[in-house]
Amino acid sequence: MNTKSYFFQSFAIVALAFIAFVGFKQILPDKIFSDSKVDSKNVLIDSLLLESVAKDSLSEKSDSILRKEQKLTKGKITFDATEGIEFPAEVFDDYKGFQYLISFYDKLYQLENNPQSKVRIAYYGDSMTDGDLIVQDVRNNYQERFGGNGVGFVSITSESAASRGSIKAVYSKNWKTQSYLNVKNPISPFGVNGHVFFANDTKNTTWISFEAGPKKFSTSLDNPTLYYGRSSKKGNVNFIIGKDTLRKSLTPNNLVNTLKVTSGSVKAFKANFIHADSIPIYGFNFDSGTGVHVDNFSQRGNSGLPISIFNADVMKSFNNTLKYDLVILHYGTNVLNYGTKNYFWYQKGMTKVVNKIKESFPGVSILIVSTADKSTKYDLEMKTDSAVVPLMNAQKTYALETESGFVNLYTLMGGDGSMVKWVSDSPSKANKDYTHFNQRGAKEIGNLLYNQLNQGYEKYKALREKRDGPSKKKTVRKTNADSVSVIKDSVNE
Amino acid sequence: MITSNSINNWFVQNFGTITTEQIIGWFVYNPEEKLLFNTGLFLGLFLVFYFVYAFLRKTFYLRLTYVILFSLFFYYKSSGIYFLLLLLSSVVDYGLSQVIYNEKSNNRKKIYLVISVILNLGLLGYFKYMNFMIVTFNDLFSGNYVLHNVFLPVGISFYTFQSMSYIIEIYREEIKPTKNYIEYLFFVSFFPQLVAGPIVRAKDFLPQIYQKLNLTRQDVNNGLFLIIGGLIKKTVISNYISVNFVDRVFDTPMTYTSFENLMASYGYAIQIYCDFSGYSDMAIGIALLLGFKLPANFRTPYKSTSITDFWRRWHISLSTWLKDFLYISIGGNREGTFAGYLFPSLFFFGLVLWGMANVNESYIPLGIAIGSIALFCLTFLLSGKRKQTAVTNFNLFTTMLLGGLWHGAGAQFIIWGALHGLALAVHKIFMEFFPSKKESKGPGFLWRFFSIVITFHFVVFCWIFFRARDFETALQVINNIGQLTFEPEQWQVIILGYKNVFLLMLFGYVWHFLPEGFTTTLKSVFDKTPLVLKAVVLGFVYWIVYATAVAGSQPFIYFQF
Repeated sequence: MNTKSYFFQSFAIVALAFIAFVGFKQILPDKIFSDSKVDSKNVLIDSLLLESVAKDSLSEKSDSILRKEQKLTKGKITFDATEGIEFPAEVFDDYKGFQYLISFYDKLYQLENNPQSKVRIAYYGDSMTDGDLIVQDVRNNYQERFGGNGVGFVSITSESAASRGSIKAVYSKNWKTQSYLNVKNPISPFGVNGHVFFANDTKNTTWISFEAGPKKFSTSLDNPTLYYGRSSKKGNVNFIIGKDTLRKSLTPNNLVNTLKVTSGSVKAFKANFIHADSIPIYGFNFDSGTGVHVDNFSQRGNSGLPISIFNADVMKSFNNTLKYDLVILHYGTNVLNYGTKNYFWYQKGMTKVVNKIKESFPGVSILIVSTADKSTKYDLEMKTDSAVVPLMNAQKTYALETESGFVNLYTLMGGDGSMVKWVSDSPSKANKDYTHFNQRGAKEIGNLLYNQLNQGYEKYKALREKRDGPSKKKTVRKTNADSVSVIKDSVNE
Repeated sequence: MITSNSINNWFVQNFGTITTEQIIGWFVYNPEEKLLFNTGLFLGLFLVFYFVYAFLRKTFYLRLTYVILFSLFFYYKSSGIYFLLLLLSSVVDYGLSQVIYNEKSNNRKKIYLVISVILNLGLLGYFKYMNFMIVTFNDLFSGNYVLHNVFLPVGISFYTFQSMSYIIEIYREEIKPTKNYIEYLFFVSFFPQLVAGPIVRAKDFLPQIYQKLNLTRQDVNNGLFLIIGGLIKKTVISNYISVNFVDRVFDTPMTYTSFENLMASYGYAIQIYCDFSGYSDMAIGIALLLGFKLPANFRTPYKSTSITDFWRRWHISLSTWLKDFLYISIGGNREGTFAGYLFPSLFFFGLVLWGMANVNESYIPLGIAIGSIALFCLTFLLSGKRKQTAVTNFNLFTTMLLGGLWHGAGAQFIIWGALHGLALAVHKIFMEFFPSKKESKGPGFLWRFFSIVITFHFVVFCWIFFRARDFETALQVINNIGQLTFEPEQWQVIILGYKNVFLLMLFGYVWHFLPEGFTTTLKSVFDKTPLVLKAVVLGFVYWIVYATAVAGSQPFIYFQF
């Protein structure tokens, strides 16, 4: 055999292989792995979202809507004064809508002057806020500045209970759970968290236990209170705190009923439900009674649309005791994957959602948080998904149309291509799915969110002082100095 | 008729238009796009390089210089300006090795050797361990030292070790130094093994430089077979399952079910094997095409029947390096040395401190600490040759601790090394009590099967520490798996949800556990295929690599149970 020159045969093989590759590329399909279709029975999918996609994705905007939107997106956005306060005009590109948060800012202002009052925020979200990510950081910022202790309202079961660090919840396996994500007609109406739970306690006891986490401002469970709904039958619950057992009866007479576990604060407790299987259970509230409280109502797979099936009367009953001042809607991740860039159907659906919230929580301020950046592979490169910007614009449009505040998370985190950077940063700030943030990234997002809200608050205070004229108090003069720098900031933008 | 225009059109259709910017991009360092063997750019560059190389096969220094220049370019594409570091350290090491070789006095030889070891390890230490040490110091003594913004040059762990082997072998008079710097630089910078091993030993490699360059048909067959296997292992199996499953679970283990955590652990075991051995195979294959034989690095390690066996089959070039230069240097099985006792003592001391620190919350950490010390002591106290076994085990443990640390700067790598070190010691004492019968047919099938299963699961358990971002995450994964209950319906749903991932995992494991005879048959069929058909097979594998690389990641699935 000719051993001397096998180099050229070797080269020939590698080179011919390259030509063969070019040939294969032309005749074989582009992708080797099909996207596997998953049996939807066991997978969390937002049924309302699927319906809307099927029904409305083809609907086109009518000419009149288009014209109206063009006017919105092109011209200046001016505001009418609320209680004598009018924020400067904005442009669509940089819309924040602080004007529509004035009632919330007013409550914060009252809290700042009277530490005994309170402010409550409901934070609705999807898997981005799972395990209290982002929300715990927003909460922490508020409690640090305005006071308040406790993690707020907590559901019974949750897919993300194990990953939640701010409070530890362990529960028996026999809870029956209904979620607004995939149930249209629940046995009893959904609670403020979009869920309703039933203690399936005929055979074994149904229980849940809570333990405070190590996080600042939530190292104890303050005034733990059970929330439950209406039923024809009564039931009992045993609260076990340390070695003591407190037996209490559940009287489900009203749409929403509350039962205090104990006054003051405990480290941990367990609740055993007895003969309570017909009573809708909603969850427990942990708050110190003063300061700011932020409830995390996250649900994996949620598009936000299911909120539209809330029962307004039940929500009003919740609001009677919880008294919300701000509702945050943080959605988008789950509507990015449908291959469409026309989000008119979503805009319409979410407008209904905002209206439902206005009806349920009268006078509440509403804040829309846009989708974050998300990357998809195009050819061989990860880039911002082409649906992100159209979705973000749709979210901005319905925020503006429904007179809600708006946080543009996409630009806040760096805009085009930022998710790729967050993932590749060292240490990384987002997961390899190029969608979800990790603890570190979530903290940064929480701070960005809080900073924008707070920026609005500082502007509000400056405007309020201008309205009230030169003040006499010394303390106010101090803030006056602050407000000068704030005004400067706003000029810089 | 084919006009130049139509050729141009065809080209644009298939490859897109090529801009000057792109062409510059091929030759300029880009931290986002490392030059890996499994990229199209490498294939293109290699084709051009190889063509010229074939013409230079009869020259000597011209060929060496040509390969060195390509190697330096290859390294520059991976690490940018740090290719200068490679050059600098090679100049220093070459100089020191000459001094050691020419020095007559043994004491002075030793001094120069120590200088060179300190320099090499110092360099490695600065780039790889500086921040780890600062963080550890800050944690322990609540210090406030600022972290250095250090870039970790690719492959520094590999070429440092390779360079050290050259000097130590000269010191031990096992080899003669190269005739000049060019030959030495060729050995250190040889691009196939430069960034990810195998760690080639001077005494295996240097003689090949001086042989007449020869490439047989069999070499090419072997090389191509390795490259094909390596490409499939690395780009198809490893990359796909890591991006679409394993990474996600290890990012946030608590948001996944116990079964998903368990599967991610199995998935990681096959992923790291395919990633590492696949890349090694490609390196060995490419070297073969250039006419150089590098040692095998992996021999189906998960078929091991004991942990000792595992270390003879896993990353062989590293474990023999550690054995020859670390284990033997600190005394081997002959004598106890200060270093041999220092590291295990420090480790166990740290373990007890950790147990004490957590005693308020749980006694388990302290129990683990005391238990592992007791276990380690028992491995030599129970032995017949107590003193010698103690020395051996301490030195072995040191080797594994430092070997663990070599893989990365982090406590979890030390834990990983310690677990393996402990297991090696335990296996030793076990063998002393139950020696395997040599003359009979060997252990029965059931026993063998049982040993493989136990060893495999221990290795997978240790990989959890290796993969997890930090110690806490590793514990989360283990805790989560601990809560596994038998729910076949749930498992089925998960498996169907991640169908591609699980199929690839299965493929990886089946391939791994195939009898050797099967692979040999496959190889001999491949050897006999005509040249053109081989090219077609290779081309098809290129396409598989391409099609996998193009595949977007599988969208997120949230199961509801």
